[in-house]
Formats: sequence, C-alpha cells, structure tokens
Amino acid sequence: MASELSVLFRRLRTWAMLLALAAIPLLIAAAVKLSSHPVAPGRGPPFLDRITQNGLFVGVTALIVSVPLFLPLTIGVVAGDTIAGEANLGTLRYLLVAPAGRVRLLLIKYTAAAVFCLAATLTVAAAGALAGVVLFPVGPVTLLSGDTIGVGESVLRSLLIAAYIAVSLLGLSAIGLAISTFTDVPVGAMAATIVLSVVSQVADNLPQLEWLHPWLFSHYWLGFADLLRQPISWASFGDNALLQAGYILAAGALAYGKFTSKDVLS
Amino acid sequence: MTRTWLRWLPAAMVPVALAAAALAGSYQAGAATSLPHKTAAEVIAMIGRSEVRALSGTLQQNSELGLPQLPTTGPAATQGPASVIELLSGSHTARVYLDGPSKARFQVMDMLAERELVRNGNDLWLYNSADNSAAHVTLPTPPRTGSLAPRATPTPGMATPDVVAQHFLAAVEPSTEVTVGDGTTVAGRTAYQLVIKPRSTGTLVDSVTIAVDSASGLPLGVDVQARGQAAAAFSLAFTDVNLSAPDAGLFSFTPPRGAAVEQKAAPQLHALPGKTGPTSPAKKETGRPTIIGTGWDAVIGLPAGTVPADVRTTPLMAQLTQAVPGGRALTTSLVTVLMLDDGRVFAGMVPLERLQAAAATQ
Repeated sequence: MASELSVLFRRLRTWAMLLALAAIPLLIAAAVKLSSHPVAPGRGPPFLDRITQNGLFVGVTALIVSVPLFLPLTIGVVAGDTIAGEANLGTLRYLLVAPAGRVRLLLIKYTAAAVFCLAATLTVAAAGALAGVVLFPVGPVTLLSGDTIGVGESVLRSLLIAAYIAVSLLGLSAIGLAISTFTDVPVGAMAATIVLSVVSQVADNLPQLEWLHPWLFSHYWLGFADLLRQPISWASFGDNALLQAGYILAAGALAYGKFTSKDVLS
Repeated sequence: MTRTWLRWLPAAMVPVALAAAALAGSYQAGAATSLPHKTAAEVIAMIGRSEVRALSGTLQQNSELGLPQLPTTGPAATQGPASVIELLSGSHTARVYLDGPSKARFQVMDMLAERELVRNGNDLWLYNSADNSAAHVTLPTPPRTGSLAPRATPTPGMATPDVVAQHFLAAVEPSTEVTVGDGTTVAGRTAYQLVIKPRSTGTLVDSVTIAVDSASGLPLGVDVQARGQAAAAFSLAFTDVNLSAPDAGLFSFTPPRGAAVEQKAAPQLHALPGKTGPTSPAKKETGRPTIIGTGWDAVIGLPAGTVPADVRTTPLMAQLTQAVPGGRALTTSLVTVLMLDDGRVFAGMVPLERLQAAAATQ
C-alpha cells in the first residue's frame, strides 16, 4: 500500500496535475485583485463578489469552478491509469506473480485513487485559502443564510467542503477503475472516465431526464453549498455518501468480475 | 467456465440489490398505516385544537402547473417579481423553524444560494444570498384581543403546510365533500388524510388532500390535484419534522457586512421573496378586491392600478401569458389569471371562460 502511494505521488504527472489544480484559485484571486472595477453581485461564479471582502471565499469559489471539469479530469487520469497503465507498461503480470491476489491489487489501486481525490480537493482548498489570506482581508465569513461565523469555524467548514467533494469523486474513481480493467490502453480508460463524468453532468441539466437525476453520480456534486447554511444541512452529505457508496459497490463488482476472470498477458 | 460465471455474479447482483433496496425504501415511505377511525369532522377539529407552537423541519414543494420551465440559476432567476413566479413553478426545498407565534425562520434552499425570511417579534428580515441583499420590515403590532385563533398573526410569506391547509379548510362548506382517506406516513409520522373534493364542476381543482399528524393534529402536507392531470398540481409536505423548540439563536438576524440593506414599509409585503401558495395570495391582499361567486369557483377581481404596471410588462410575463381578447391571460392547471388592458385583473381557480364572463359583468 505504502509503495503504491509513493509510486503515485512520486510521479511527475501527479504533481503536475496538483500544481494545475492549485493554479485555479491563484488565477481567480489574481484576476479579482488586479481587475479595476469591483465584481457585481450575482455575476460570474457564485461568491466571486465576496472575495474582495473576505479572502476565505477564494477557496470556495475555486472549488465550485473546478468541480464540474478540472477535478473529474485529474481523477479520470489517475483512476483510468490504475490497471490499464500497468498493463500498458507490461508490469501488471509481475505484480500478479507476487502472491498478493488480484482482489488485493484492485483494493490497493482503488485506495490510492481515493487518496488522490482527497489530495486534489485539499490542494484546491489550501491554495485558495493561502491566496486569499495573502491578497485579501480576512474576517468573519457570511454564510448563505446571512449569518456570520468566525474564521476558525469557516476553516472547519472549508475542510468539510473539501471532504464532501472528495467523497463526491469516489464514485467516479470506482468507475474509472472498472473501465481500466477492460482495456490495456490507459488513455482510452482515462478518456472514457472523463467523458462519462461530462455526460452525467449534461444529463443532470436536462429537465426531460428528471427521473434519472437522483441516480446520476454527479447529481450532488454542487450540493456542498448545504454545508454553508446555518444550521448545516446534512441531508445532501448523507444522500451523496449513499449514492457514491452505491456506485463504488456496482463499479467495484464490475471491476472484480472483469479483473479476476481476465487473462493477463502483459 | 463455471468459475468465470461466478466471478461475474457480483457485477450482476449488486445493481439489482441496490435497485431493490432503493425501491423498498421508497415504498416504505408512502406505506399505508392503520389508525383508529375518525370522521372528517373529528380530523378538522384535531387541526383546530393543534397546539404545536414550535417546530423545525424540512419542506419539499413540487408544482406541476403546466408553466414553462424557468431558469433556476443566474442572477435574474431569483430577483424581482420573477421570484414569486419562480417559486410557483418547479420544485423547492425549504427549512422552517417556528417558536411561538412571533418567532419564525424560513429558508428556501436554492442551488448554491438561499433566500431567507426571519421574523423575531415585530422585526422581519429578508435576505437573498444570490445578490447579498437584505430588507427589513417592521410589522404592525397585532391587536391583542385574545379571541383570535391561538396561531395569532401568521408571518407573511411563510408557506408551511399548516398555512396552506388553513386556506383550503376555510373553503370547506356545503359545496364541498370532505372525507377521510387511508392513513399514511409523512416525515416518519403517521397521519390522517383529509380529502376535500369540490362538488362544483366549475373549478379547476379536482381534490385537495391534507395529511394531518395523528398525534399532534399538525398538517404535515397538502396535495392539490387539478382536473385532468395525474400528477399533483401542487404539493407541499414535510420531509422531516421535529416538534421541539429550535435553537433561539436562529431567530436573531443581523444583516451581514457588505450587504445592501433596504428598509421597507409594511404594506409592501407582496414583494416578499418566499411568498407562495396555490392561489397566489399576493394578488389578493392588495387593493380592494371584489369577489364574484362563492366557494371553489369564486373569481377575485382587482380594480385597475392595484397590480403594478411593471409586473405586467416584464418580458417574463409576456413569455408566461398568452394574448386573449382584451388583454393577456396566464393559464395554469390550477389557477387562471386574466389581465385586461384597462388594468383590471381577475383571478380564480376556474377556467379562463369563467374569468372572461365575470369580467364582462363588472
């Protein structure tokens, strides 16, 4: 397990993706700081107008911006690479020669992808907080409900939001892992995972498919706003966790079926 | 070969098991329950005796009024007169907190935004997080005669099943058939279902079902069925409710730093966000309306000038209404509004022809 994580986090690609994610809040903060006219309320991404008053909103805005595309993109790359990448490099059969078992390999690969989910969201949140503290005044944070909370609690809520988004991406990671067992071409698995996340979000926006919405893994992706209400509404956190658990089970079962019955030739 | 099949078995079983679990959960939610028999009069008396003064809960509202889908995101969606219409279409989730007659908090939870209504005594605060704007209204002190209903002054703009149910119960009269349906479960509590069915055929309302908590007599949900439509035209129900007093700190509201605060005079309450209801009470409370007819097919007529001209000329209105002889009409599956070119407005839970007939006699 430790060796798997060290392999993941010693790769240049992983760091490049984390750096790219960290650049999003920096870009937002710099753009708001350098622009000469203030942002009108209700324009642009949510909370953009609050950044000049409170730097702690940089992280939240950056997370909202990166949830639909950038985070799924990096998750798709990591999760799609899990099995197919090893197969492509020809290292998969050596991994399986060791008496570790295929199920264990799947579990370890998935855990590494899940750790990356958390690392990616925390990177965006931390870079946002850092940029906000450096460039803008920091003070009590106004919640969606109009109530105000102190800096300490707002940091806690930012961490909760990061945790929520990390949980939201677990289902996509499992799907990526399942697709990865079906191919030896890592790029194909990555692309398929990312395309699925986009398709799911598009379907979530079509009112004609309303019956399908609660079943889409991206349905609760923006539900972390419920953590910015007073009192916190835990309903979407629970719904989201349940939905992601369902996807992990279904995709995990699929990955198990394919991977344990597969002839590993490379 | 059999071993291969065994390995694919989880992949086939897990989705089936998940779907079965989800279906079982949804069946359990609406399961019929057996309750001691009560007559319709007894259930109505239960609502009247209801002593619920404090509660916190989550409300789910759904409308299938046949209105076009309005944009639910973007700056224009939740501001100005559009917000009232936006609340009447589609579905919303709101949280409600009540403590006694004069403390209330109502939160409409939008995607990445929230509309807020906080009442503490005579202070009423409105807050919209989408544009960070707040409004303050000082309510007139209610006359303390004591002979009024124990619910005292309802907070304007609060749409709880209780308020909506009272509205329909006020319509119960000889022209209405009231029965008690099967017991049901709403928000985890057993409830009687009071079915109100207009005898008149001149109204668009087919039936109104009120779910009444079997323990406290609190209305937990209201469903309005329109004629010729399978899905409920309007439904409002608690998804969870707790009858203990909420945290007192919820009712003290200070507008956040940087918010645009506006002081509003009390009579302008019709502009409140959060106002909703099957018969758009906003239009009924202004001016000096005349009521034509009685019961379910009554028509409310507003004289010219009571509805602001800017409401009538917004592009949104042009999109929602259709041109009819002498004005424009808003037709939904439940309510029809006729806006004449001379400024008069007629509204009712009746077909358009009846509004036109009423307008002609005035």
